[in-house]
Amino acid sequence: MSRVNTVLGPIAAEELGLVAVHEHIGYGMPGSELDTQWWKTPEQRYEETVPKLRRFAEYSREYGGCTFVDATGICNGRDVDYYKSLSAKTGVHIVAATGFVGGDTALRFFADATVDYLMRQFVHEITVGIGDTGSRAGIIKVGVSRGFRMRELDLRIYRAAARAALLTGVPIFTHLAVDVEPALAVFAEEGLPLDRVLFGHADDGVSQGRVNETAILGGGGRIGFDTFGYDLELPDPPFWGRHRRERLEHFLRLIGEGHVDQVLASADANCSPLGWPGVEGHTVNYIYEQLIPDLRAEGIDDAMIHRIFVENPADFLTLTTN
Amino acid sequence: MTTATSRTVNTVLGPVPADDLGVVAIHEALLSVVPGAEHAYDISMDRAEIFEVLAGKLAAFRAAGGRTVVDSTGMFHGRDVKLYEALSRSTGVHVVASTGLGPEEDLGGYFLTPQTDPPTPWPAEKFADLFGREVTEGMVVPRVERRRAAGLVATCATRGGPTPTDESLFRGAARAAVATGVPVSIRYGADPLAELQLLLDEGLPADRVVVGNLDRTEAVAAGWPAAVAERGAYVAIDHVGRNDSDHHIRDAERADLVAQLVAAGHAHRVLLSGNAIGVAKGHPDYELPYAHVLTAFAPLLTSHGVADEDVQQILVANPRDLLAVR
Repeated sequence: MSRVNTVLGPIAAEELGLVAVHEHIGYGMPGSELDTQWWKTPEQRYEETVPKLRRFAEYSREYGGCTFVDATGICNGRDVDYYKSLSAKTGVHIVAATGFVGGDTALRFFADATVDYLMRQFVHEITVGIGDTGSRAGIIKVGVSRGFRMRELDLRIYRAAARAALLTGVPIFTHLAVDVEPALAVFAEEGLPLDRVLFGHADDGVSQGRVNETAILGGGGRIGFDTFGYDLELPDPPFWGRHRRERLEHFLRLIGEGHVDQVLASADANCSPLGWPGVEGHTVNYIYEQLIPDLRAEGIDDAMIHRIFVENPADFLTLTTN
Repeated sequence: MTTATSRTVNTVLGPVPADDLGVVAIHEALLSVVPGAEHAYDISMDRAEIFEVLAGKLAAFRAAGGRTVVDSTGMFHGRDVKLYEALSRSTGVHVVASTGLGPEEDLGGYFLTPQTDPPTPWPAEKFADLFGREVTEGMVVPRVERRRAAGLVATCATRGGPTPTDESLFRGAARAAVATGVPVSIRYGADPLAELQLLLDEGLPADRVVVGNLDRTEAVAAGWPAAVAERGAYVAIDHVGRNDSDHHIRDAERADLVAQLVAAGHAHRVLLSGNAIGVAKGHPDYELPYAHVLTAFAPLLTSHGVADEDVQQILVANPRDLLAVR
């Protein structure tokens, strides 16, 4: 039986449809909730979010449905009851994450915690539920703190995540793929197969030259092209933006080199950002409105697109214990 | 006697005349949550239970003659303004809540590694604005609404000495206090005089500052309580009731210290508190009654030769003068 944890309960992987594997309903760094400049009414939050998810669902009809993997970890505004209402009303499957975007988003209680405690936190959220929502996390978020250097706390979270992934069968995805050697060492020490790890943001503008793709691919890991759409061609691109053509060619190069089963793509867009302005005009629907047409124009056929957006993410998200 | 009559203090239920505060527990915590602990899988945040425990403790404080409790833990350590409003209404105890943040390790990434390139930590002027608006516009219920004005700005330095962000917090707190008229509470990290000076450099009068942690062993050995009083700031001897800590003096020594400060003419600069914690989440309980200073320590002061009028000055007049908005 293939199972994936969504906020409305486990579903068969066959039901996932097209998967946007690294997205955010709304992300805000811890503490941003204290700053009223970012506050939105509940009406505004739903108004900004629901049409994007409904369009995502409409675009996905030919795939039998769609799944939105929310990469907002603990302490960053993750709001599972809200996700449940969005999922129930729009028909989009939503997978919530346990874990942390990086050590610098883990508040003091968790920053002071041991590997063993962090593991129990993650396992509880995966097997029992997140808070009192009853919803189980389907993936673990880990990441590198700001500054492109893996810190001790980051690695403590990586190790706890590896142990929780081995025990529960959920996969791991990372914020940033830079300074990856310490992470690879942790996963090797813990015995986690690297096909259970998606090394994210390997495609962003500021990570180029800092990602050891050879080591990730050689170890069997997956590489996330998950900031598609943060294009420097936008009117007001973020600092991690990249030229659209350059990112696309990077992605095509890995496919051309035979790594199609080790790459996943997503847009990392916020439906309604919580603690930052967001990027005007960038949504999860970039996948349909720009990326898939670009891939088709480059000769990627429907079977390959299905493999990238349906079969491989389903394989990745399926609870897998050995 | 009449100096403060026209002044008010910001409580969670709105401004009250400063003369109505009565006996004040000045450096306490109501609900104290280590940042993030509210998300912990094994920590219950049962609001009814939290309310019941806090209400019981506040009622006991009132029964012992206390009238006002100051939650001096800032805006990001479990502060729950609406809970405090309901508690104040139901127990009749005035509750003064604080804005402020610190030390650095208690902050969120929003302030320390913002989504800018490079991720420069917040400077003093941004903290000043954040804290100041909690007085002028009201304290936040995160992402929902603002309530009544904060009664003070509370911050704390890293043990071992202020980090650059701690310094920004101190300067921001001072600027917010200058702009709004509420006082500042600091808990010193390494050197209370140098850390107090950060606030004075921002133009905040010394008598708008209370310096906490001055009953640490090292502080007493260095003579810092008297030195802080001589600068004109309030001296918080704020671990009254704690007699099992290697880092703090004992109650008998605290009583001696108070007697010495009074004898030196500093009665109007002394504040007493227990650093009691009503409900602790993510850190150990500390079951000290809010009334401990009033019921157990005040009699000890008398036996150490402190006159009743000085005890009243310390328990009633000093917190009133500090908390009255200018």
